[in-house]
Amino acid sequence: MDSFCFNLITWFWFFHNGEKVILSVFLYFRILFIVQYMNITILNGNPSDHSFLFDKYLDELIIIMKDKSFKTRKVNLRDHKINFCIGCWNCWTKTPGRCVHNDDLQAIYPAMINCNLLIFASPLLAGFPSSLIKKVNDRMVPFVLPYIEIIQKECHHKKRYPEYPKLGLILEKENDTKQEDLDIVKDIYKRLAINFHSELAFFKTTEEKQEEIVNEINNIQRVATT
Amino acid sequence: MKLTIYNGSPRRKKSNSKILTDQFIQGYTKTMDQNSYELHYLAETNKNSEHIEAFQNAENILIIFPLYTDSMPGIVKYFFESLHKIPNENNKKIGFIVQSGFPEVKHSTYVERYLKRFTEKLGADYLGAVIKGGVEGIQARPAWASRKLFHAFYNLGVYFGENNAFNNEIKNNLGKMHQLGRFRINMFRFISALGIADYYWNKQLKDNNAKNKCYDQPYWN
Repeated sequence: MDSFCFNLITWFWFFHNGEKVILSVFLYFRILFIVQYMNITILNGNPSDHSFLFDKYLDELIIIMKDKSFKTRKVNLRDHKINFCIGCWNCWTKTPGRCVHNDDLQAIYPAMINCNLLIFASPLLAGFPSSLIKKVNDRMVPFVLPYIEIIQKECHHKKRYPEYPKLGLILEKENDTKQEDLDIVKDIYKRLAINFHSELAFFKTTEEKQEEIVNEINNIQRVATT
Repeated sequence: MKLTIYNGSPRRKKSNSKILTDQFIQGYTKTMDQNSYELHYLAETNKNSEHIEAFQNAENILIIFPLYTDSMPGIVKYFFESLHKIPNENNKKIGFIVQSGFPEVKHSTYVERYLKRFTEKLGADYLGAVIKGGVEGIQARPAWASRKLFHAFYNLGVYFGENNAFNNEIKNNLGKMHQLGRFRINMFRFISALGIADYYWNKQLKDNNAKNKCYDQPYWN
């Protein structure tokens, strides 16, 4: 009898609140969609002879990201054979979209272009992200077309791909790092973002807690899904 | 005066940076018999220790590179990291030349701030950065079309050879087009609409039988 009454009440409630139930179910799945939405690639530009603490910081960040169900992939660039860009432009004029170097970056490229957020993580070396990061930045040229268009009253290369990931930057300061150094790097990476039809979604140093980076990523999600 | 020059172009001796450097050197060595120079190519990364040693022994240094993603190419950054690790004792003076493919120099002004700060970090004197846009394609143009540009770099070298500094007037002239004006933007849109703006690339794509693949997205899932 109790069970019958419970079912009756449930059906009565559903009959009068059906729309809300359907909406709740939809929202529930939408939340799942949002949680699974963030696909993050972290490129770690820490050279092998440098900071152990930087790697530890990233590892802790990834644990928190996984707790939040972000799909995260970290690539330690130092473990891969990646050549410097040679400026041949074969990626524009001979094998469009494909870099001439047959090295480890070929396997990393898809993770860079198909993610929602591409994070460059590096200690500052000589006041700038490491050459491991910079060589990858240079090798991003195949992501755009050779053709030029005007964006913000400036010449830029046209899109090759329909979508580009947002960019994030995580840096470890040097002993002599000033605010001016951080501003310079931030401005240059904002430029990089314009070049690749994206935006610099966040800029953090390892002095800030990993949770703050996760909060920033949550903000990106919120904007992306509203 | 002895000048140690670093060419930071990944294209090495086939680079536009080399063409501009050659003009600069012609002017630099023309004025004074005792002016000498040594030239290093940073793309030869296997010679990094030689490059560093040359830097340690140098007093007057010129670093020229093309703009890559609005900053220095990776090979130049690699060199900078090496320099930052070594003690720099003698009083060095460092000047830079940054050249880019895009016509407006705004793209290069962000790295200029970095170069100034990097020189400070090394404890050296900053001689400034000469910025020139619109350099891509100079090897494809007829000689007369680049005459003014070459002349400017020649004169830049002459002045540098005499004064160990960049001439401000030449420097400002080379970098005068900070951003595209309305007229140039409209002109560009007009020639784009006619398909002329893409000719330089389409010709190379056609020559390589790659025109039909020009919009390929090989890394897209």
